[in-house]
Amino acid sequence: MLASLSQRIRVLSSRTVHLRALSSTQVHHAQAASKLVDTPEHPALTPVLLSLSPPFVQKASDPTPEDFCVALDPTVFNHPVRRDILHLCVVHYLDSLRQGSANTKTRGEVRGSGIKIRRQKGSGRARLGDGQSPMLVGGGVAFGPKPRDFSTKLPRKVIEMGLRVALSAKLKEQRLGIMQNLSWPNVKTKHLAQRIDALGCRKTLFVTGEGELPKDLERVMRNIPAVDVVTPKDLNVYQILKWPRLVMDLKAVEYFEQTLSKAPKSLQTALPLP
Amino acid sequence: MAPKVRAPRITLASLKPAPGSQQNQKRVGRGQGSGYGGTAGRGANGQKSRSGPGPRPGFEGGQTPITKLFPKRGFVNQNAKLWAPVNLERIQHWIDQGRLSSSPEQPITARELLQSGCVHDVHDGIKILGDGAAKLKTSLYIVASRASQSAISAIEDKGGKVLCKYHNKLALQQTVKGSQDQVDAAPTRRADIVWYGQHHNRGYLSPTTLASLDHLPWVDERWKTLAKQLGAWKKQ
Repeated sequence: MLASLSQRIRVLSSRTVHLRALSSTQVHHAQAASKLVDTPEHPALTPVLLSLSPPFVQKASDPTPEDFCVALDPTVFNHPVRRDILHLCVVHYLDSLRQGSANTKTRGEVRGSGIKIRRQKGSGRARLGDGQSPMLVGGGVAFGPKPRDFSTKLPRKVIEMGLRVALSAKLKEQRLGIMQNLSWPNVKTKHLAQRIDALGCRKTLFVTGEGELPKDLERVMRNIPAVDVVTPKDLNVYQILKWPRLVMDLKAVEYFEQTLSKAPKSLQTALPLP
Repeated sequence: MAPKVRAPRITLASLKPAPGSQQNQKRVGRGQGSGYGGTAGRGANGQKSRSGPGPRPGFEGGQTPITKLFPKRGFVNQNAKLWAPVNLERIQHWIDQGRLSSSPEQPITARELLQSGCVHDVHDGIKILGDGAAKLKTSLYIVASRASQSAISAIEDKGGKVLCKYHNKLALQQTVKGSQDQVDAAPTRRADIVWYGQHHNRGYLSPTTLASLDHLPWVDERWKTLAKQLGAWKKQ
């Protein structure tokens, strides 16, 4: 894809809000930078452009987000919508969450003796054996639930396609944001909560490509309601659909493009993950 | 720019399966309207309408079952060997296609025959047979478990060499795998020792056969020792 992280973002000569406003030269700059050029052999490989979101901490050295955009792999972020694949992935995930601990006692497990309740003939009533038959009050349950495993299997490639479809859907609905990096300098939750409110990032799932513990990001965000942070490895289709907004950092974008991309290998450059 | 009509947002509440991908489960005994009520598809009375496993497999209601109608016959020889046959015609065809090649330094063994697809399974060993001997053009260098007389004469007429070598199960696995570090066991059964010691069969324990192949690099020195030791019975 791109030779380095810095090449991924290119200075544009004017402010852009909508990607349609980009002039053709600007688009060409970005395309050339990303090496995935719209050639006759690969018409579907035009990169998708998304402007950067303002980060938590804006340092003077950092590029101003309004002037930058990110070129994204279209096979990951511009996938056609497939609601049935999303349905499969979500149902598979919810199946795996089921505890499956419903249990009932059969006639063999109900406490009681095996003595015949009344004689076979002569009482005028129906014939009965032991007192735990499901026919009787206080007897066992016939064909009742037993603890079982409700998890199902889904081919790995279907799940990967689900991730591609979900990410593309989020981007298409303009609910996906990319920040330069997701770092907060101290462990003060109050100040981060204020910054998140200022950015309008409530009800957002943050995806950070770095490890969570060294950054302490998880600890800071833990007590902020309607906000959560995950690593890209743990991200699943259900979460992407559930959270109204998704914000990731550039390293997470790298991770998704490395693991999910379907662009031909000759047009990809393998990037070492940090 | 005119605003585009957006598709409804994709949320957890707006997902549904692909039409036709989900079939309703058949639930019997739940009322007449379903079509499977009442007797629940089991008909009226009889053993098949009752719960439980039913009659045992093969039971024919008391009539002598087909498995009992005919008498048992014979036995199965546990020592019998199943040779994978391959005719000279087939080997020549494979060589013509370029899927097999034979040279004095690299003879054709079970490994080459299996990997090229000339033989689909080696079973207990390969036997070279002589069908289509007239079509043989190249001089073949082959090591197999057995070879028919017509195959031997056809190969040697064209200037090739055949060697029949004893492979037990482990030795055959090693040959097919292509590992060089294992030592193949000598035959233990009298019939095998006698058979592989005869030049008539081009056996690898026959001194005459080994002498005719002396110049070739793949002939093992150990076979000469074995030939002497296992051939001692001839002079007793």
